[in-house]
Amino acid sequence: MEFFIDGVPMQAEDGQTVIQAARANGVDIPHFCWHPELSVPGNCRICMVEVEQEKGDPWFDIACNMPVTEGMRVLLHSEKIVRLRKQTMQFITLNHPVDCGICNKSGECTLQDFHYAHNGQASLSRDAKTHATKFFPLSDRIMLDNERCIMCTLCVRFTNEVSQSKALCAVNRGDHALIRPAEDANFDNDQYSDNVIDLCPVGALLSRQLLDHARVWYLQPTRSVCPGCERGCSIDIWHRKPEWALRALDPRLNTRIDRVTPHENPEVNGLWVCNKARDLAALFERPRATQATLGGAATDLATATASAARLIAAARHPVALVSSWGSNEELAAFATALAPHVQPFVKADHLPLPGEVVEDHLLIKPDKNPNRRAALALFPALPGTLAEAITPQTDLVLVWGEGFDGSAVPAGARVIRLDAYADPVQAQADVFIPVSIQTERSGHYTNFAGVVSPFTACFAPAAGIAHAEELFRAIGLALAPAVAGALTGPAA
Amino acid sequence: MTWWERAYLPEILRGLGITTGIFLRNMAKWVTGRRGAVTTYYPEEKRADFAPRNRGKHILTQRPDGSPQCIACNMCATVCPAKVIEIEAGFDANDPQHPKYPVRFEIDYSRCVFCGLCIEACPEDAIRMEQDVPSLVAGDRWAMWLTMDEMLTWNPKQDVAKPYPPKPARPAPGEGAPGGRGPSTH
Repeated sequence: MEFFIDGVPMQAEDGQTVIQAARANGVDIPHFCWHPELSVPGNCRICMVEVEQEKGDPWFDIACNMPVTEGMRVLLHSEKIVRLRKQTMQFITLNHPVDCGICNKSGECTLQDFHYAHNGQASLSRDAKTHATKFFPLSDRIMLDNERCIMCTLCVRFTNEVSQSKALCAVNRGDHALIRPAEDANFDNDQYSDNVIDLCPVGALLSRQLLDHARVWYLQPTRSVCPGCERGCSIDIWHRKPEWALRALDPRLNTRIDRVTPHENPEVNGLWVCNKARDLAALFERPRATQATLGGAATDLATATASAARLIAAARHPVALVSSWGSNEELAAFATALAPHVQPFVKADHLPLPGEVVEDHLLIKPDKNPNRRAALALFPALPGTLAEAITPQTDLVLVWGEGFDGSAVPAGARVIRLDAYADPVQAQADVFIPVSIQTERSGHYTNFAGVVSPFTACFAPAAGIAHAEELFRAIGLALAPAVAGALTGPAA
Repeated sequence: MTWWERAYLPEILRGLGITTGIFLRNMAKWVTGRRGAVTTYYPEEKRADFAPRNRGKHILTQRPDGSPQCIACNMCATVCPAKVIEIEAGFDANDPQHPKYPVRFEIDYSRCVFCGLCIEACPEDAIRMEQDVPSLVAGDRWAMWLTMDEMLTWNPKQDVAKPYPPKPARPAPGEGAPGGRGPSTH
């Protein structure tokens, strides 16, 4: 059906509200409490619009809860609406403290933006601002600043409707209203709790990890994929912009993951990610392996690569354990360069940790590896008993990635390891080559449903760390003449 | 050039005469304990002819308890055209009046352009510039970073021109702004 916004004809579907139809046509109506995925409470009133009538006075209603009707003429910028928004902003900021200087949300705060866009003047109130609790720990992860809260109740509706933990509620009324944990629930147990930080239009819900870190305008997002489970949620990894690189302070701050937010992807994760994705910094920033070694002695990458190729060429029954954290490109490079020379099996790099939620109603999937589906499409899975894969005849084991302790390797067999993180077993390997992690390379993961999602490099790898894809090509090139020589040797 | 100037020597002698005269006048003043030429015994002495609003060394103002007034909002670092200010923030939830504070505050004087935008941008009057210029001599560029300790050595009681802003006090229960009711007690 056709309707008009400020006189411009637009198309709307039956049953859409004005705010939905306007968004579908690229017109943004200001809103605090409305969210496309949550129910409509209509309590912030900032989305108020004017509707012109054929006869009689125009009437006013909130765009988030008003269905579009045929031929409806909506005004967003009429004189009355501009005044109304100004007064609404005055009311919403009545008790909001002006502490943007220390607020983590400043720079991406909707209230800040709308204040500049629609009001922009000092408070007219003579009353003292209501002082609520400044810092109230809602959970181990989230701090609540109730002074900044504008009671849009997005967080309460999120825990009721999406994460279904029902862990938050609103108590009291008017300017005494507070967000508080519900009595019979524990917000710590909500696997999606950190989404309320992104949802919050002001700086009331704060990540306790990010509380004193960089301001948001120093950071930039890089599209990535969460490797926490086979869902492979699209995420943005926020890290410091190169032009804001620090010189005097710890240089590690320049290559730190400051926060992780969901990247909207309707095919995979919609608008949400679970808390495991938010904690990727802890996963990626574990102590790294940076030195290639030969039998525990340091060496350079080229020597280690050549030694690995020699060992593979000399082996009679080589077995390779393929990482299920490798990207599609790395797996393809392994398939072309190495698979003809070794017997590959796909191993699970990560198993569910004790206490970790294995599967739930929303996003979390049981397999805790991001790309096992793509690996299994190319290579067979590791059998249930390791002895079927690594037999006593095996004289070479190539281990790519984590999750293999090495006790099953037969005595006398050679071991080649490729890993990104420091592990004492690497010193026992005949050849060890450090490889890059997901934040240092670009590629694609295929999730459990076959959806391919890209990830982009955020940081440059340190010197002496190889990209696995290039490493496999180099080993494959070194192997080709060796194998050709081995084949033609006896015949000659 | 006139023939007198082209003769060279007389003008040279006249020039030497002027130089010698000024030297002797200054020498006579110096010998008798008076100030002669405008010479500053740097770095023991400060220049007398700095303008009252000269933009020199940065200082961080302090609260009465000696902690920096700075709230680590990074406005100065953001506005700085040379990007020479680096602040590491700390957070103390137990001090709701001033939860954020600088752990480290550093200015790179090898790149600072003394434009004073940091002072303009500060919402807390936490950073100011002293009249005199800091010692900009250092053996290497890393020694030219001004640290927070050096910026906090300023004594606010001596600064008469810009009085120290009192710490904003939270109104006691029942004591609101005139005409308003008291703040809630939750």
